[in-house]
Amino acid sequence: MNFSELTHQIEIRDSLDKILTKHCSQDTLKKFDLEFKHDKKLLSVLSKNGYLGLGISEEFGGSGKDLYDLGILFESLGYHAAPLYLSGCLVDVAQTIQKFSENPIHTSILSSIVKGEIYTSAILEPYNQDPENPITNAEISKDRLIISGTKFLSELASEAKDILVSANSNKGVLLVLIDKEKLKLTKLSSTANSPIFKVEINKVSVDKSAVIHGEGRGLEALRFLLQINMVMRSYTALGITEKMTSLIASYTSERKQFGRVIGSFQAVSHKAADCFINLECLRLVNQQAAINLNTNLDCENDALIAKIWAGNTCHKISYSAQHLHGGAGVDKDYLLWRYCLLAKECELINGSVIQNIDRLGINITSNQ
Amino acid sequence: MRNEDEILTLEMLIQLNQQQQKLKDELKEYFEGIMIPALRSELNDPKYFEGGGPEFKKAMRTMGSDGWIGLSWKKQLGGKELSPMEQYIFVETVMRTGFPFPFLTTESVGPMIAEHGSDWAKENIATEILKGELIFGIGYSEPNSGTDLASLQTKAIKESDGYLINGQKMWTSLANFSDYIWLAARTDFEAKSHKGISMFIVPTDDPGFSLSPINTLGDVRTNATFYDNIKVPDSHLVGEPNKGWSLITSQLNLERLALVNHGPIEELYKDVLKLAETTQINNNQHLTDLAWVKHNFAKVYSGIEALKLICWKQTWIMESGQLNMAEASVAKVYGSEFFIEAYRLLMEIMGEISILKNESSLMVLNARLERMYRTASILTFGGGTNEVQRDIIAMAGLLMPRTR
Repeated sequence: MNFSELTHQIEIRDSLDKILTKHCSQDTLKKFDLEFKHDKKLLSVLSKNGYLGLGISEEFGGSGKDLYDLGILFESLGYHAAPLYLSGCLVDVAQTIQKFSENPIHTSILSSIVKGEIYTSAILEPYNQDPENPITNAEISKDRLIISGTKFLSELASEAKDILVSANSNKGVLLVLIDKEKLKLTKLSSTANSPIFKVEINKVSVDKSAVIHGEGRGLEALRFLLQINMVMRSYTALGITEKMTSLIASYTSERKQFGRVIGSFQAVSHKAADCFINLECLRLVNQQAAINLNTNLDCENDALIAKIWAGNTCHKISYSAQHLHGGAGVDKDYLLWRYCLLAKECELINGSVIQNIDRLGINITSNQ
Repeated sequence: MRNEDEILTLEMLIQLNQQQQKLKDELKEYFEGIMIPALRSELNDPKYFEGGGPEFKKAMRTMGSDGWIGLSWKKQLGGKELSPMEQYIFVETVMRTGFPFPFLTTESVGPMIAEHGSDWAKENIATEILKGELIFGIGYSEPNSGTDLASLQTKAIKESDGYLINGQKMWTSLANFSDYIWLAARTDFEAKSHKGISMFIVPTDDPGFSLSPINTLGDVRTNATFYDNIKVPDSHLVGEPNKGWSLITSQLNLERLALVNHGPIEELYKDVLKLAETTQINNNQHLTDLAWVKHNFAKVYSGIEALKLICWKQTWIMESGQLNMAEASVAKVYGSEFFIEAYRLLMEIMGEISILKNESSLMVLNARLERMYRTASILTFGGGTNEVQRDIIAMAGLLMPRTR
């Protein structure tokens, strides 16, 4: 058993911190508050320094398949509230192709992603409580698929070359890469101003070779995608809540009332201590999930537990941080508010706490 | 290159290694042999919940002669010198069986006497603890000294050939069947609080020793103990005079960790789950068919997983010899508060029958759940109250200012 990070992981963390500190200044973040939130400059810096290859095999120019390494990237992006949304690209597309495709047409995408090209996914559907069972439909006719349906919360769809879509067919679930040009994209405006889209698929015809997995493995691939997405989103949540907690600690150590710093009141310090406890729990369940996903294909319960902790921690720390900051917490000239909005998106996307508790409850009671 | 990577990944797995799993299996089998029906039924008798009965004493002697006492002691003192992780596994396995192993005697008091005691104490006390022959009660808290333990007032006055002890202790658990009390007393009245405290071995058969029981809502008996002109020879002093504080605080981390071990709650969760899956309700359904029942189980399960990881991490930190105050306090606060929530969620699942204490056809797990929920509150203030733990977390973990 080992809970420490390896030397190369500490290096990744430190140098990412340097890069992101430089590129995610308050001024930069302010600029992106009003614009399309996608920092191309930062993307190219990360690519040049090899960080888009985290979790991707050396064969494709990456730095190895370790998902814990990839977790560090998402934690760091969260910590700095980086205007860069990479889970559709690096997690959904890259990881699923790496695990389920040997077709060079698909695996060559991995090399492009390492170089900074954007691909993304469109998996979630409005009003569909069970993403493993897409409403989007694929009709199979000879060598072609005709796909129809509506997806949403697709990250960076406008920037992507191809979009990975889940669909149901008479041969079960399929994951299919579709050229963005064939899709109707609508930018959605969301609580944290994230670059997310509604994706309408209207009888789009694609070649069968666009399916990224072997025959009959679609559901397995989709389950993997959803699980790894949950875990990496939980890492983003970890970074966001770590930053909020450190803001609590520094603000309450300086702000004076009644002649003393407010952090010296137990009512304040104990609320902060509870944030620390939640963080520690989230960090550990994330670590377990990432490491288990490295060696096993299906770690649904580990992923659900990570996402449950992420959702609860995002919610609790966000409101504790706002409360302990008083007015400063909600002032848009200070930096906390941005994290609070991001926390809500992390909490709800790809399974809210109660949805995941429901799912975990089914899993742990039905196998007996 | 790949090979090396794979080895690194294996090392990073968060699970017991082969040796540790072997130890766990071995201990499980061993304790199945210890927990014979006679002992089980004795432990169901409220008089013997915490041990002290004839079958308990027999079992302690067996464990002593099989070498299972003194697991944390150094080998040269006759112990097993297990690593913190192996100790954690031991505590976990024992607690899962429900045997009231006297950890404070065997793992806290014992090794301190073996290391710092007089020749008399080493020969007559330490070795007997190892054999499973002696039990200690812990005499720390007093009516006016709890969280601020260093303010304790029990006196030990130096006389020509020993010490004269006078005072009162509170919450002296196990004192009703202990052979000795591990007693903290003030020996220097001028020195600042914790600098004037010494540790003594006080025999409970001394005529100046008396006790009155305190019955708690969890049916865990504890005691107020009284020390009226008890004379002990110098050989009963452990360590140097006025240097007792470090003996009190050493090993505190392991002790706290033992309090929140994830074994018992996981065992209870599994047993309630098994029960709910076979409990028939209306319409030929089982309890586990209900969505809200599944939800409660999921909440408990995701909480146990976090507790397990916190405990393992803390143990792993101890193995590498680093002291991390904030993380030890995280384990204490999270664990103790989670237990209360988990018992509640499990009792909700079983519903109103969870409160029953007779009628075997109705009791939940022989009323184990009912009893466990009643003992849960002890841990939020016992072993270092959670307010102090949160103070420590804020200061050591978040570098916030000291609170008052």
